[in-house]
Amino acid sequence: MSPDPAIKYLRVIDLGKCIGCGACEAACEFIHEKPYIVVYRTSIGLDIPVSCMHCAKAPCIEACPTGAMTRDNSGAVYIEQSKCIGCLACLYACPFGIPELDRATKTATKCNLCMELRKEGLEPACSAICPAQAILFGEDAQVFQLAKKRTAESMARARFEFEFHSSK
Amino acid sequence: MGDYMRFAFMCREKKQGINAKIAVVGAGPAGLAAAGFLVCSGYDVDIYDKLPLPGGLMTFAIPSWRIPPNRVLEGVKELEEKFNVKTIYRTKVYAGEPVHEEGDDFTEKKISIDDLIAQYDLILLATGTWISKIPKMPGVNAKGVTTALEYLYKWKIYEYNLASIKPPYAKKAVVIGGGYSAIDAAEKALKTGAEVHLVYRRTIKEAPAGIYEIERVKREGVSFIELASPLEIIEENGVAVGVKFQKMTLGPPDETGRPKPVPVPGGEFTLEADLVVFATGESPTPPVNPSKAESLGLKLNKDGSIWVNNIMQTSISKIFAAGDVVTGPSRIGPAIRSGLKAARFMHNWFLAKKGKTTTQIGVFA
Repeated sequence: MSPDPAIKYLRVIDLGKCIGCGACEAACEFIHEKPYIVVYRTSIGLDIPVSCMHCAKAPCIEACPTGAMTRDNSGAVYIEQSKCIGCLACLYACPFGIPELDRATKTATKCNLCMELRKEGLEPACSAICPAQAILFGEDAQVFQLAKKRTAESMARARFEFEFHSSK
Repeated sequence: MGDYMRFAFMCREKKQGINAKIAVVGAGPAGLAAAGFLVCSGYDVDIYDKLPLPGGLMTFAIPSWRIPPNRVLEGVKELEEKFNVKTIYRTKVYAGEPVHEEGDDFTEKKISIDDLIAQYDLILLATGTWISKIPKMPGVNAKGVTTALEYLYKWKIYEYNLASIKPPYAKKAVVIGGGYSAIDAAEKALKTGAEVHLVYRRTIKEAPAGIYEIERVKREGVSFIELASPLEIIEENGVAVGVKFQKMTLGPPDETGRPKPVPVPGGEFTLEADLVVFATGESPTPPVNPSKAESLGLKLNKDGSIWVNNIMQTSISKIFAAGDVVTGPSRIGPAIRSGLKAARFMHNWFLAKKGKTTTQIGVFA
């Protein structure tokens, strides 16, 4: 088996920035006719978006008996529908419960990071429409840098507030 | 990874070919998402809004730490610069005797909906919910009584330098409600120096804002009082000085499925307040007075929302409607979903009318 193509692009959801508004889910559903990112209202009232993590060592790819679950050359994990037998071994393997069975096609479905939009040089709909900039999508190094820069910003803010406003 | 909302997320540039003009009324999430789809389908789009900036409640009510305003403003700039969208601000589209709404202060120009019907091939109404509901009780007209939408909006226009008057300083604020606008109003009052009580008629478990948000503002210093419903605003010389509350308990489920709060006999108490903020919901604000709607032929529902058929078309065939003015108050996501769906229906209806086959732009299975 040939090794997975290198991961070039990543999507990371910053739960600290997410406001739970559901814009990602709406745009995703509009593009795919069914949302592959879903915002769940949890028992403590915090809304959490859930979608495929596009794991670097994806258990779903390992578990797939037909090679239908695979990775494109930007790093997105996707399903080649013609090879899929709908066994859902991918769902059993997935630690996040992501893949679903499409009743009509009898194949597994999940997020492919808007492959069609990316082919045209566009970003996935979810990150494009997010009002809170909670969905980071880009080249891996860029995403890693931005994630840490946000941490730096929040640490600086906390220190600033401690130094200048703690006596209130 | 862009630094702004890409409303036209399904295309790189404006499609050519459809020689048709569309007016979108209301530059909130529904209107902007619809505009994004429509430019990708090749329409010339003009967006009207009564306010001086786009974004609707995203810009004028939701705190900027939740949604950075530039993410919205830059997104609209892209629509203007790359997709030739014309934005017409400070312009209220309305027909009939005007009803006061929040955000009317900036209106410089009024356009009748008839003018739009004459000028455009298609119209989308996405005017939202800009009237706040205040329950009937004595004292609600006293000075110092306001609504969450008005309170947050006044702070926003002050912060954007659109108004020079700073919202009045409050020492003791009482915020009534359990949704996101109640949370945001309570937090704003707290951060601007007030002692804040947030009072909700059910318990934290039923609060629409959720346990997490309420615990978060409690930790910041807001006092949360559950199971209490306001009876009257106590006023002195026309100025609010306090709120009298009735203690409640949870009864059997009401029509919404949530336990109905019922009064506890004799359980009354008073909180001092120089600022009383009602965060008790908003109503749809169609761009037409209800009496004028009838003569115009635009059907409204009982709650004031715009009636639409299964393709989100109003009773006037070239006018469609989307967002909160159709559904009542929701959230950004549902508003965007509604705007996108309406835009696609408009496109398909327009092509069918022209006798062309419909294309499902933006749909990838």
